[in-house]
Amino acid sequence: MSSHAEEKGRLWGLLAEYETVPAVLEAAARVRDAGYRYFDVHTPIPIHGLDEAMGIQVSRLPWLVAGCGAVGASTGLLLQWWTNAVDYPFIISAKPYFGLPAAIPVTFELTVLLAAIGAFVGMLVANGLPQFFHPLFRLERFRRASNDRFFISIEARDPKFDPRATRALLESSGGRPVLEVEG
Amino acid sequence: MSAIPLDLDNTLERPGERAPLVLGKSDLASITEQVCEIAERPRPSREWWLAFGTSASLTFVLFAMLGYLFWTGLGVWGINQPVAWGFAIINFVFWVGIGHAGTLISAILFLFRQKWRTSINRFAEAMTIFAVICAGLFPAIHVGRPWFEYWLAPLPNQMQMWPNFRSPLLWDVFAVSTYFTVSLMFWYMGMVPDLATLRDRARSKIRQIAYGIAALGWRGSGRHWHRYERAYLLLAALATPLVLSVHSVVSFDFAVSQLPGWHATIFPPYFVAGAIFSGFAMVLTLLIPVRHIFRLESLITPRHLDNMAKIILATGSMVGYSYIIEFFIAWYSGNPYESFTFLNRALGPYAWSYWIMFTCNAIIPQLLWFKRLRQTPGLLLVISIFVNIGMWFERFVIVVTSLSRDFLPSSWGVYWPTWVDLLTFLGSFGLFFTLFLLFLRFLPIVAMAEVKSVVPAAGLELGPHRGHGQYWGEIPHQHDEENER
Amino acid sequence: MRAMVDLGNEPRVLGEKASPVVRGGWLAAGVGLVAALALGALSGQGWRGFFFAYLHAWAFFASIALGALFFVMLQHLTNAGWSVVVRRLAEAMASTLPLLALLFVPIAVGLGELYHWSHADAVAADPLLQWKSGYLNTPFFLIRCALYLGVWVWLARFFVGRSLAQDTSGDVAHTLAMRRRAAPAMFLFAFTVTFAAFDLLMSLDPHWYSTMLGVYYFAGAAVGFFASLILFSYLVQRAGFLRRAITREHYHDLGKLLFAFTVFWAYISFSQFMLMWYANIPEETLFYLHRQEHGWGWAGLALVFGHFLLPFLALLSRGPKRRKGALAVAAGWLLIMHWLDLYWFVIPVQSEHATLNWASLALAVGLAGALMASMLHRVRATSLVPERDPRLMESLTFENA
Repeated sequence: MSSHAEEKGRLWGLLAEYETVPAVLEAAARVRDAGYRYFDVHTPIPIHGLDEAMGIQVSRLPWLVAGCGAVGASTGLLLQWWTNAVDYPFIISAKPYFGLPAAIPVTFELTVLLAAIGAFVGMLVANGLPQFFHPLFRLERFRRASNDRFFISIEARDPKFDPRATRALLESSGGRPVLEVEG
Repeated sequence: MSAIPLDLDNTLERPGERAPLVLGKSDLASITEQVCEIAERPRPSREWWLAFGTSASLTFVLFAMLGYLFWTGLGVWGINQPVAWGFAIINFVFWVGIGHAGTLISAILFLFRQKWRTSINRFAEAMTIFAVICAGLFPAIHVGRPWFEYWLAPLPNQMQMWPNFRSPLLWDVFAVSTYFTVSLMFWYMGMVPDLATLRDRARSKIRQIAYGIAALGWRGSGRHWHRYERAYLLLAALATPLVLSVHSVVSFDFAVSQLPGWHATIFPPYFVAGAIFSGFAMVLTLLIPVRHIFRLESLITPRHLDNMAKIILATGSMVGYSYIIEFFIAWYSGNPYESFTFLNRALGPYAWSYWIMFTCNAIIPQLLWFKRLRQTPGLLLVISIFVNIGMWFERFVIVVTSLSRDFLPSSWGVYWPTWVDLLTFLGSFGLFFTLFLLFLRFLPIVAMAEVKSVVPAAGLELGPHRGHGQYWGEIPHQHDEENER
Repeated sequence: MRAMVDLGNEPRVLGEKASPVVRGGWLAAGVGLVAALALGALSGQGWRGFFFAYLHAWAFFASIALGALFFVMLQHLTNAGWSVVVRRLAEAMASTLPLLALLFVPIAVGLGELYHWSHADAVAADPLLQWKSGYLNTPFFLIRCALYLGVWVWLARFFVGRSLAQDTSGDVAHTLAMRRRAAPAMFLFAFTVTFAAFDLLMSLDPHWYSTMLGVYYFAGAAVGFFASLILFSYLVQRAGFLRRAITREHYHDLGKLLFAFTVFWAYISFSQFMLMWYANIPEETLFYLHRQEHGWGWAGLALVFGHFLLPFLALLSRGPKRRKGALAVAAGWLLIMHWLDLYWFVIPVQSEHATLNWASLALAVGLAGALMASMLHRVRATSLVPERDPRLMESLTFENA
């Protein structure tokens, strides 16, 4: 073991590397079953079945998007009704001040616009991005997480974290190598 | 794993088997290497500089023409009464139509589980963004006084008036700006994991910082991927009706009027089909040379070209269908103005443009019934360029023939573009290609993370079948209980 | 060649279990037709009401069969794997087209009642009808209808026949042949359906025209078909067949398609309405004006809510599409709405005031009974899945990613 292990305050966590998808899936399930909560898997590609292996709750993003869409739809309708039929009504091409058929396109576009912004911004905010610094970025090896390797990181703040036991778990699940991450 | 031979014909799909989507050496690292290498070359090739120099000069021409237009006024264009919508609107519809392929590939083909899209979607989405930029330019300048553009936005202003929401031209403002925003978000979001790859491979400080900022600190976290995939699916579900709505709204600009040749109820789906048709043609026009120059034959395989050619054939046939139905109903309606307009299109002073349109859009793409043509990139390139030409002329026919001869012969007129019109149009290609060349130089032109997840090396094909690839699963008995409900 | 897929002891041949339904179907057919004829004979206004009801019922059931034909061809065109386990059910629905062709005869008989343009005196008094008389005249109309029906029967026989032939031979050549012919078949389909909609529906009001009408009829047909397919799968499973073959994943996909075509129908019908509303040209708006007066407006509103808004909200999220009970309810509802859509299109030509044409109800029961009986009679000896389709395994193990 390296000397870093003694400097407990500076240890952020452990990082284990895996070569294949099935290996990382199995290891993630074992980490989950061991009761860890502050752990994560880092992969270059989205992996189906990982949510289950990690025990991730299904995202509530659709509700946010539906809410944003509803706001967009009502904004669109109210805006067109109030500006053209209430605040400054004027007749043009013999159309009613507020004719629903003519109001549909703008209402639709605003619905989609707000819902899409909700999906995009909501995803970033829920993920805590942008986050330009992260302890994992210190490791040269971690650069392969965006290329061809799969990683599991377990944070030292996890109540179940124990430098030796956690390392043993990661190693027994096939993680090669298991590295320490400085905080 | 062993590499799949590059000359394997993966367009042949025997029933019950699925052909590989990526040929050659297709493990994760080699895909990364192949795509990143393009953006990491220390200096661009001489051909790139040549192309960039040309398109940048054309962009300069565009800005010179815009300056001249703003300084002098709309009189420098060929527009007149009755043809008040000239090149500006033709070019707008042309470019915004091209801008439909990207979202189609990234959203609609995604919902249809067409995994071959992964090799081309980044590319097509980028093209979409640049085409919509070119499209947005023309309505902005055709009002003549662009410094009053803010009147289009529902802002309280000094005149105490609001925009007229009953006008389809205002719908356009909302549709095109929404489309641009959503496409940009979609494109950027798809690119974040790949930007992180470029960041992690960057050697120089400046690249690390630039890609680092653009990648937003993406670290491939499983928790992030989960929300990311959700958001991607939601954006795809939103972008699908959006992409249909945009060209429908553009078609409303014409179809809500009473002008013969413009007022046809089939316009919305007809315009959408035409937009996809022209967009795919532009994707092919750009993709075939790029694929060749950057040696991307293993990622963008004959199968990709074959599929795109088939989509061009399908949408081109829909456009041809619309031409025929329009012609038939023009006669069937018994409305003399409608009948006249269509005869005038085919036989009148602008008949040449009609027949260019008809030949390029309805006849030439029918050659794609032949597999050999779909398999010959050079010929496919030629056909795609014909489609681009044909679709530009379609908009020319719609705008010019209907306006130049409407109800009253005493108010008929003739439209010819001026040199300013022509150079502005040419300049818009300069802008498009300039942006596109910058994209080729600095960004990941293939969606690496997505391609990686469809190659067998990813090991994702174990377990039940997931849309594409080999499948050796068993009949899912585990569904029994669920099905009892 | 792949080994034959083992579906285990999954019950998948209806056999004798179909007999009571077939008998019930013929009974319903008899009762419905007799009731409709009685209503026609007893009505004070002659046979006009009967023939309009008949045209409406025929257009409704033909749309479902055409939707089925379209679906089958599309699956071959796109080499789709997921849908194989439900394709035979769609094939069964498409194979009602020969009977529908036979059932076209009453429309030909009632031509004079249905189509204003078929009267020489009406044409003589109307310059527009004179203009159109080269197209809208009885012999040419009947020739065209025979052509459409012939094409549909021919296509249905080809795609259904090849699929059944594969059950015994297991030859992949059938799949390849169907894939090859699917693309040109789509051309034939598009033009015949469009012109059939023009001829049978649009020419009911020979002054009115819409270039969109072919697409409109197709969009409704797709909604009607997917609703019917979901119901058919549901009922077949309720009767104890294909319980493991058709999973919630297939329902999910069918639900998505039902949802997508509901939205597509709304897009097409809104576009058609909005463009006419906005341009406000009298000869076009008359169509909608007539359907907003004398109570017909309620039917239109019912379509806006029932054919779009409600099913849109109900099917938007993932849950209901994956629960087949809920999905079957939505499908039944949309099937009724598709029926109402065509009712709203056809019947106002006959009746100025919104009424429930009782003959329509009787004929809905009668034609449904006849078509169901003939369909089940036809398929009862064959498997309900394409036994040896090379993509069957892909379909059986299919999962929505």
